[in-house]
Amino acid sequence: MTNHWVDMINADVVLVMGGNPAEDHPIAMNWLTRTKERGAYILHVDPRFNRTSSVADVYAKLRSGTDIAFVGGMIKYALDHDRIQQEYVREYTNASWIVGQGYGFADGLFAGFDQQARRYDKTRWAYELDEQGHPRTDPTLKHPHCVFQLLKQHFARYDVDTVCRITGTPKEAYVQVCDLYTSTYAPDRAGTWLYAMGTAQHSHGTQNIRSYAILQLLLGNIGVAGGGVNAMRGESNVQGSTDQGLNFDILPGYLKMPIEEDSDLADYLKRVTPVAANQQSANWLQNTPKYVVSLLKAWWGEHAAAPHGFAFANLPKLGRGFQGQGYAFLALTHAMFAGDVKGMFCFGQNPAVGGANARLVRAGLDKLEWLVVADLFEHETAGFWKRPGVDPKQIETEVFVLPACSGVEKEGSIVNSGRWAQWRYRAVKPIADSRPDLDIIDGLARALKAAYEKDGVFPDPIRHLTWDYTEPGQHETDPHRVAKELNGRYAADVTGADGTRVAAGKQVAAFAQLKDDGSTLSGNWIYCGGYTEEGNLAARRDPADAPNGIGLHPRWAWAWPMNRRILYNRASVNRKGEPFNPRKWVIRWDAQKQAWEGDVPDGAMPPGATNPFIMLASGVGALFSPDLVDGPFPEHYEPVESPVKNLLSPVQSSPCAQVWRSTDFDKYGTVENFPLVATTYRVSEHWQTGAMSRNMPWLVGLVPHAFVEIGAALAAREGIKNGDRVVVSSARGSIEVFALVTERFQPYYVDDKLIDEIGLPWHWGYAGIVPGDIANDLTASVGDPNSWIPETKVFLCNLKKKARA
Amino acid sequence: MSDPVPAKPGAPKVKTKAMIQDNTRCIGCRACMIACKSWNERPADHTDFFAGPGYQNPRDLDANNYTLITFNEITTGARPNWVFGRQLCMHCEQPACASACPTTALRKTELGPVTFNSNRCIGCRACMQACPFLIPKYDYESRAPLIHKCTFCADRIEAQLKPACATVCPTGAISFGDRDDMVVEAKRRIATSPGTYVPQIYGLDEVGGTSVLHLSSVPFEQIGYITGLPKEPMPDLTHRWLRVTPHVFGFLYAVFGALAWIVHRRNKNRGPEEHHA
Repeated sequence: MTNHWVDMINADVVLVMGGNPAEDHPIAMNWLTRTKERGAYILHVDPRFNRTSSVADVYAKLRSGTDIAFVGGMIKYALDHDRIQQEYVREYTNASWIVGQGYGFADGLFAGFDQQARRYDKTRWAYELDEQGHPRTDPTLKHPHCVFQLLKQHFARYDVDTVCRITGTPKEAYVQVCDLYTSTYAPDRAGTWLYAMGTAQHSHGTQNIRSYAILQLLLGNIGVAGGGVNAMRGESNVQGSTDQGLNFDILPGYLKMPIEEDSDLADYLKRVTPVAANQQSANWLQNTPKYVVSLLKAWWGEHAAAPHGFAFANLPKLGRGFQGQGYAFLALTHAMFAGDVKGMFCFGQNPAVGGANARLVRAGLDKLEWLVVADLFEHETAGFWKRPGVDPKQIETEVFVLPACSGVEKEGSIVNSGRWAQWRYRAVKPIADSRPDLDIIDGLARALKAAYEKDGVFPDPIRHLTWDYTEPGQHETDPHRVAKELNGRYAADVTGADGTRVAAGKQVAAFAQLKDDGSTLSGNWIYCGGYTEEGNLAARRDPADAPNGIGLHPRWAWAWPMNRRILYNRASVNRKGEPFNPRKWVIRWDAQKQAWEGDVPDGAMPPGATNPFIMLASGVGALFSPDLVDGPFPEHYEPVESPVKNLLSPVQSSPCAQVWRSTDFDKYGTVENFPLVATTYRVSEHWQTGAMSRNMPWLVGLVPHAFVEIGAALAAREGIKNGDRVVVSSARGSIEVFALVTERFQPYYVDDKLIDEIGLPWHWGYAGIVPGDIANDLTASVGDPNSWIPETKVFLCNLKKKARA
Repeated sequence: MSDPVPAKPGAPKVKTKAMIQDNTRCIGCRACMIACKSWNERPADHTDFFAGPGYQNPRDLDANNYTLITFNEITTGARPNWVFGRQLCMHCEQPACASACPTTALRKTELGPVTFNSNRCIGCRACMQACPFLIPKYDYESRAPLIHKCTFCADRIEAQLKPACATVCPTGAISFGDRDDMVVEAKRRIATSPGTYVPQIYGLDEVGGTSVLHLSSVPFEQIGYITGLPKEPMPDLTHRWLRVTPHVFGFLYAVFGALAWIVHRRNKNRGPEEHHA
């Protein structure tokens, strides 16, 4: 999130789209309840009226996969009604930047598309540069090729009638949403945008999020109290896991992974260190070399020295990936099925149920030589070899199940969606020999180090790895040692610019002090400042609010970066440091003291010319973004499996989407055979694949069996009653579940065609107290081209009442 | 039969507690149901699909479920709506169950909870017939069956804690405090957001007032609440007649005593020869 959970109480309008916080983030509803008490409106946009809709002021129905049409229409509405925060847009976004003549958009494609390779030549989207190499601008926003005018042109096609034809939203509800939400353009009103997997899990998921960012920038809602683009993250510590770089394409702190072509550290740093677009851009990531070197120093200690590029050679480099398709989950599962993957460590994940195209996933597991599962229960992945319909004798995988203990049985921090790292103590000792993940990894690492001492191909990265997370002679790891290393410390005695000496071994106070000369080490630069000589700031529990009273609670736990609670908060003040909204000010400049007060300012420099989006090389919010692979503006395309033609352009679905067709599991359906739109979602009572919750008898008592929710009209036509058994099928498989008939799923009229949508909670598998068929058996291996996330939120299916035997 | 514990005149008033159940804030998550089962150590249910509308499970309150969230789909035209209600013991100010119970197993305490002493229960189910909200549930599976109902977490309240349900509710749909304060707060919510609430506090006056006050966005009968209850406390209905019992017995005792005296005197006056008949 750019903002955080408590901050929602500052919103005047809350828009929830692609998310269902009442069911999937129930604690968040505390803050939404409070903001409603203060008079805020809650707007919920969703294919299905669910428990979040029940407390919303306005519910707007939306056909799955048409989010960009919906939000594109809101962008046009804001532009047409002049509901933009003028000063903010002019000063703090790239609205005035002039795009080069190479850019264009026609018939559903941006300039530079290579049909063969299915990718864009992004150089066509470059800005027009002046003599100094800085982008030209037109502060009047009238230049025909300035971003503002191109934005208007691009979304001119997204009028209310067209949008509602595509999305199936009743016009009255749509206009209500547009009107209420764009009212937050006023400097003294703020709108917060909440979203989750319903937004992300699409073949254009990243562009979905881009559309939110564009609208929020136009309305002046980024960096202000009650604003933001706020992802409600899917697991309690997934924020922590992405922070630590668990995704294949990033290093801790969201540094970029090296690639094969980076021949040495200097090469790599040149490639990944951004250059400021102009002199007003603070371009904070110019400091990337300091963070990379400090990371290398944390990992390889004295073996990371300047003459050898600080052991840069020890980092793995990305190649073209599995079958040339990268390393993300969809590529991995295809590689497994092809027999290219020897073994797998599966920690806290259950891909046999949770992975898109789950039959493919399980077929891939069959091919592994070995599998190590660390989890609390023996779930479907751990027991894939004895699943229904399979003969264990035919499967040669050696499976190890390591019992992991739960979150309350171990000490450590969890980072919530609002970037708050909250330290937790161990409440009870782990049951039997179940262990914290840290202990399990520690045991593995030490065994590997011992093995590599004897021999191995390229042993240095493991042999020389700093690994000291236990007290000498102890068996249990100490998470404090890890946390301290993440923060970082001085590797050598250092004398500061003001002459003060800091001894080696002292914790670094802030990432501004990290160096690229090997004198500092830090396992994760964005966590630097969280465990200092002051102590473990994530363990703080002072509930007092800051003087500006907007729910910052600055001494409750610790937020990265540097305890800044609202990102880009320099955009909440004008060039003189005066808040746009004095009633809910985030930061403000005290001219007398010559200092900022309030939240930690996002860039400590005094107010003035420096632009507020300091993490972007441009320094300004991106209405137009040449960074994504599938277009500088979001454009509506239908999902890969869609019941209708794209009404907006001749390009049916995202031209860059990853669509696998290499195995028998990669089949796609058409509306003739699969006339219903399907989506997947979760319920409050179960958690993800049910690996934990379907082993909890009380929870199973509430929601025991797999079911599909279908609209009453559709049910009547098919002769299905509530509680009947039905078979739901897609081009990839079929499952049998109970039917829940409801008025809350209503059909859409898309250009006079009646389209029905049905929904499947995906919590069931063959393990646990109550088994159930796996909803992901129906989803496809289709990936977003930027994030590779699977399009599990929309596909085509069919539905039949189960014939009685 | 036993009367509710009367307040001693002149004794310092212990503030009786109450809960607000604000259904406009309820998201139907059912953390309350699980917290209740956890605190009261009730076993899990073996359910099949859903037993009531929506995701409702089980169908009703029972021996293992002292509170229940009801799922109500209310569609007006093309606009769907989903409203949640909660069933639990209302902990009446003057409980019919305690009045009907022949063994004083049920008692209204000063702090508010109508407590249940399982040692005294004989499983007669008079309370089930008396309760206007149909709350006490019988343990039909057991050989030594008792009734079961919400305890208002009387033990937690005594320890200055909130009931388990109020503690876990993520949205603050359940408030807990002194009944006077809860009444003021419920009225304040209706007054400040008239469009949000139907102007009724369920439990304020019903059967003499209860310790659980419900608020709703739709009429209560649409979400399964029993409505049309009288304002007078249930024990009053029977008390009107039963309180006469000692007088009736006293009267009959006097009448038969007088008759006996008259007959006895007559026999005495007749003399010895009349006894030889």
